[in-house]
Amino acid sequence: MILREPAEALDPRMRTVWALEGAIGAALLALAVAVTVVVLVVQDASTAAWIVGIAGAAGVLVCALGLVWLRPRHDHAYFRYEVTELGLYVARGWLWRRWQVVPHARIETVDIKSGPLLRAFGLVAVQVATAAAGGGTEIPGLEPPAADALVADLARRAGIEDER
Amino acid sequence: MSEAELEGRLHPLAVLVYARRFVGASLIPVFALIISLGTRVFVPLILAVVLVGLPLAVLWWWRFRYRVTGGRLEVRSGLVNRTTRVVPLDRVRGVDLTAPFFHRLLGLVKVEIEAAAGGREKAELALAAVSRREGEALRERLLAGARVEVAAEPPALYRATPRLLAVGGLLSGRYLLAPAAVVGVLFNLADDLPGSLVERGTEAVIDRVPTGATGITATVVAGLVLIGLLAVAGSLLVDWGFTVRAEGDRITAERGLLTRRTVSIDRGRIRGLDVSDTPLRRPFRLAGVSAIAGGVRRAGGRTVLAPVIRGGDVGPLLRAVDSLAPDPADPLIAHPRSARGRRFLRAVPVPAVATAVAIVLGWWWAAVAGLALTAVMALVAIDRYRQLGHRFDGRRLSLRGGSLLRRWTELDPAEIVSFELRRSPSQRRAGLATVVLHLGEGAGSRRALDAGEEQAGPLLAELHPRLFAPLVRQSL
Repeated sequence: MILREPAEALDPRMRTVWALEGAIGAALLALAVAVTVVVLVVQDASTAAWIVGIAGAAGVLVCALGLVWLRPRHDHAYFRYEVTELGLYVARGWLWRRWQVVPHARIETVDIKSGPLLRAFGLVAVQVATAAAGGGTEIPGLEPPAADALVADLARRAGIEDER
Repeated sequence: MSEAELEGRLHPLAVLVYARRFVGASLIPVFALIISLGTRVFVPLILAVVLVGLPLAVLWWWRFRYRVTGGRLEVRSGLVNRTTRVVPLDRVRGVDLTAPFFHRLLGLVKVEIEAAAGGREKAELALAAVSRREGEALRERLLAGARVEVAAEPPALYRATPRLLAVGGLLSGRYLLAPAAVVGVLFNLADDLPGSLVERGTEAVIDRVPTGATGITATVVAGLVLIGLLAVAGSLLVDWGFTVRAEGDRITAERGLLTRRTVSIDRGRIRGLDVSDTPLRRPFRLAGVSAIAGGVRRAGGRTVLAPVIRGGDVGPLLRAVDSLAPDPADPLIAHPRSARGRRFLRAVPVPAVATAVAIVLGWWWAAVAGLALTAVMALVAIDRYRQLGHRFDGRRLSLRGGSLLRRWTELDPAEIVSFELRRSPSQRRAGLATVVLHLGEGAGSRRALDAGEEQAGPLLAELHPRLFAPLVRQSL
């Protein structure tokens, strides 16, 4: 170990959000497989239809397992963040792990964002941008009060005027 | 402090530049018209240019005005839709004067102004043609804040001699490969030309190629000489008289034989310096130097300071730009031996597998070539590992990596925008991690590839002690 891990974890509901996102992806894939099978049947290519159907079903099953069950748990378990005295510290990923440290003085903007799925679960994402394109970071799932507190804290430490 | 207003139009000859642009843009359609309708369209075409193109250019010139006043630059343009662009002078990041060949004939320059806009996107303004004197006055005025008055022309920090440029062109992959690119473009155009002109030409050339052993040798030698000559010519054309000067708080680089280009950057925007070379140049102790600067549009935030320079002259040039720059020849801290295995794993498998496939299929020539390639890639892997290193001397960080394109970088840690540490599964097994330092404003990032785990933490802690003190594990 090189750096110690950040202290805070994401809201546990992020697992459900990611699982739903995965389910949508898997459903789209299943739909694509189904359409292909139907087209093949209409074209009277029943052997091809069987092959595509079985292989596709297996593929959809594996994808669904990964996207709905494995990935959300994994991403949640390995995402950590912390606001230290001088910087925002974010670590993510398990096999390919990245630790990012953004000094408060280098933060240019702090945004709160929420898509429809996040909103349905009462969560928001916090995006932090710096002058460097690859230098920003994101905390994908927080409760609004926690996010507001974080944004206010970051903005104060970064010296950005609070425009809210 | 109120300075004199600077106000003006483009040079009247700019009309010719606009008109030439109009002609240039309509060249291909005109060509098509002539081919399909014959030469009888000449007169109407010339009439069209004179009656439509020229008045349009004059109108455009007449409606274009610029003004420097009250700490800002205003440019008004447009025939029907009037546009006024305002750039505060403290937002101006750089002013480039370019003199393309046509401009030089008329004694004009093109002025390109780079400005940092709010947020990340950049604003650019261009004055298509003003007189050289006016262009220089404008540049002085726009960069006045960063300017220390210099009486005489300051001495050059670097000046390329024609001999150096010729050797540099011969040893540069870019210029050596340029003929291939030209051939590629020609063949692309070939499809558009009527009567399969290029195909017939190629066939005619191929028919004349001698077939005997001496003939083939002579042809190959002639081809190599031609490629070499083209490379030398390319280098001389682009970088002729390359001169770098320090003018107060600015570094100015001027270059070019036909198109003369002047680029200036504020010293304060320089994040660090790169020194790069290739295996072709290394035996001759030649390298290239560029500055890593934020807020400029040039590729990757790099501005060339010396396209080709002798090894012994690199140190003085670096120190003239950044007085604290370390010497590129100083030894660096090597990365752990386990990093070597990873370099092999990246370089060798593809050619090795290809060789194996060739052997299985019984393609002996391919197998021999594959074997040679595998051996070369193994050597490259060893060299890539040997080049890896970093060192922080308390004020500047030095990094080195690459082999076929070796790059040594020195950075001021105060310019780093954000820090990142990355570890892949194979790095975890090997006890390695990559330190990535983001520089911001389009200056890109630099990395210490495959540093040891016990090196990466302390390195980060050295670069920004107060930030990393609470994050680095004490028990190592």
